[in-house]
Amino acid sequence: MKTNKRQLLGLAAGALALGLNVGIGAASAAEVTKIAVMVPEQGTDFGWNQQGVDAARIVAERFGLEFVPAEGLGYGDVRPTLRELADEGASLIIAHASGYNTAAPEIAVEKNVAVAIVDAPGSIKPGLVADYTLSGHQGAYLGGHLAATMSRTGTVGIVVSGEPPSWNSQSAAFALGAKAAKADIKIVYAVIGPAAYGDAAGGRRVTEQVIAAGADIVFGQGNGSSFGMIQAVETTKAVDGGKAWFIDVIGDKSTIDKGHLLSSVLWNMVPVYTAMVNDLKAGTFGTKAYTIGLADNSVALLKTKYIPQDIWDGIWGMRQQIIDGSLKVEEIYDAQAVRALMTSVSAQE
Amino acid sequence: METLLTPAFVTALLFGAVTAGVPLLLAGLGEQVSEKAGVLNIGIEGMMLAGAYAGFVAAYYSGSFLAGFVAGGLGGAGVAALMALFCVRLGMNQIVIGIALTLGAEGLTALLHHFQFSRSYPRLDAAPALALPGLAEIPIVGPALFSHHWLVYLAVLLVPLLAWVFRRTHLGLNLEAAGQMPAALDAAGIGVLATRTFAVLATGFLAGMGGAYMANVGAGLFVPFMTGGAGFMGIVLAMLARGRPSWVLVGSIVFGLSLSLTTAFQVAGVNVPTDVVQMLPFLMVMLMLVLFARHSGLPPALGLPYVRGSR
Repeated sequence: MKTNKRQLLGLAAGALALGLNVGIGAASAAEVTKIAVMVPEQGTDFGWNQQGVDAARIVAERFGLEFVPAEGLGYGDVRPTLRELADEGASLIIAHASGYNTAAPEIAVEKNVAVAIVDAPGSIKPGLVADYTLSGHQGAYLGGHLAATMSRTGTVGIVVSGEPPSWNSQSAAFALGAKAAKADIKIVYAVIGPAAYGDAAGGRRVTEQVIAAGADIVFGQGNGSSFGMIQAVETTKAVDGGKAWFIDVIGDKSTIDKGHLLSSVLWNMVPVYTAMVNDLKAGTFGTKAYTIGLADNSVALLKTKYIPQDIWDGIWGMRQQIIDGSLKVEEIYDAQAVRALMTSVSAQE
Repeated sequence: METLLTPAFVTALLFGAVTAGVPLLLAGLGEQVSEKAGVLNIGIEGMMLAGAYAGFVAAYYSGSFLAGFVAGGLGGAGVAALMALFCVRLGMNQIVIGIALTLGAEGLTALLHHFQFSRSYPRLDAAPALALPGLAEIPIVGPALFSHHWLVYLAVLLVPLLAWVFRRTHLGLNLEAAGQMPAALDAAGIGVLATRTFAVLATGFLAGMGGAYMANVGAGLFVPFMTGGAGFMGIVLAMLARGRPSWVLVGSIVFGLSLSLTTAFQVAGVNVPTDVVQMLPFLMVMLMLVLFARHSGLPPALGLPYVRGSR
């Protein structure tokens, strides 16, 4: 009887353990219930922050997940926010700023929560940390080609609010595209500050100087600072007395344009975040790099009414070449290598 | 280097230096008034931000830059009124309250911007320039230095005006006494708290005007956190100036020119890393600190609340 009891208890314990195991296994496969996104500025900047928040929201809706946006966190220590989001049960925290890629992996380990970071591919950890160092370089190449083709002065400008890898690869591709269109094009390159993402006054001042140096088309990469760049383009005439133009990145500012937005290298992060959720469910999170590109329209060049149709047709043809692989766009992430491509800023020894 | 030497570029460079320097000048002069009276106004960054927001809102809705600058000044003075209440009247810690006001202003203006402008990002037209007859026609430097919004000239005129006030008027003496020996001022029948309150409000008004200039002329729009530490630079300039408004002007010019030069070096292809180039303005300030900070001559009562009869 004793033996039977023991056997029964053992059987029950085994069944319980099996059941728990199955339950846990099933839970880990389907336990993605809440997705959080952290951004340094408000998610209404028509750029990096907005695209990140909007894409996360769309993915959450698509998968029926609870969505928690944490906006305007700045560039300081975000560990308390990360801990709070983890404690609130976030299945995935998207730390959408390169400034967060030290703190987020730490908290991922501390709280055993999946985090996605940018610009730190060396920090990935299976099941915990994924990196999505995105680059719209394919679109930027087309933008550079467009700018050089349409430039009246023979000089185009690049103004950036910092030199993170994502900006660098686009700056480089823009320069390569411009030189492919016109070998003798001059490219004026200027960085507003080490991390001047929100420096609107600096963006305007630097852009005005770049225009004064001859650029009539400016490729601007910034968050809040890009509004200062646009303001400069709207209020400053090019050296030939004509209109100055702006090519933006990531978001579409057409709705607030005053007639100077020539184009934009648009990013769509929905495919990336979708892949992350799928990987979490499949247990493959943190094992591969996520990319965006022209092929699935996660990168696109904005067509505005200011681009003549014949020029756009040429750009469109080039897009097809990039997609089918007959035209390769080099990915350059190092700031020094980027500067080496520019006419105005020489490479560092 | 060929690009750097074009007249248009040099003009843009000098123009940019003035635009970058004016907010610092106004903030630095304001801080100087406050420090003279014995109040370390750490909240000046928040006052600038409040001024930037209020100034932009007023200019955008009224279409008047004048209204924008007045509103900016009042916005800064509004934050300063809190500083006066907590630090001057209630004797609370000036550093803690200053930081709290800055953080509060950052949060509030970001929130207001979010609800008002984050879907539209309105921008002002270029600020009207007042070209000084004769001077503005000088090649290259004329349009760079003598064709600005009138607030620029007013800011520069404030320098001799404040120097005169500090040296030649009863108000200046009262301010000085409030920072040097407040008990003596009190004994002379002049209200220390009233003098300090006036100083703090004046600081807020000037800092707010500086913020409004940054938003309305410098950027042409408002974005959250846009002052980016300009208020703190104003504090440094005021401390280095040792009570002399002309030194604040010099410091503002140096800092503004340094900021402009960072772009010039990049555009000219100067063979030093961009990060080093961008350290230039801050290196200049650090150099000035090393050279002059030992003799900064701060008022003995700076940062200390005044309580009648206390030792």
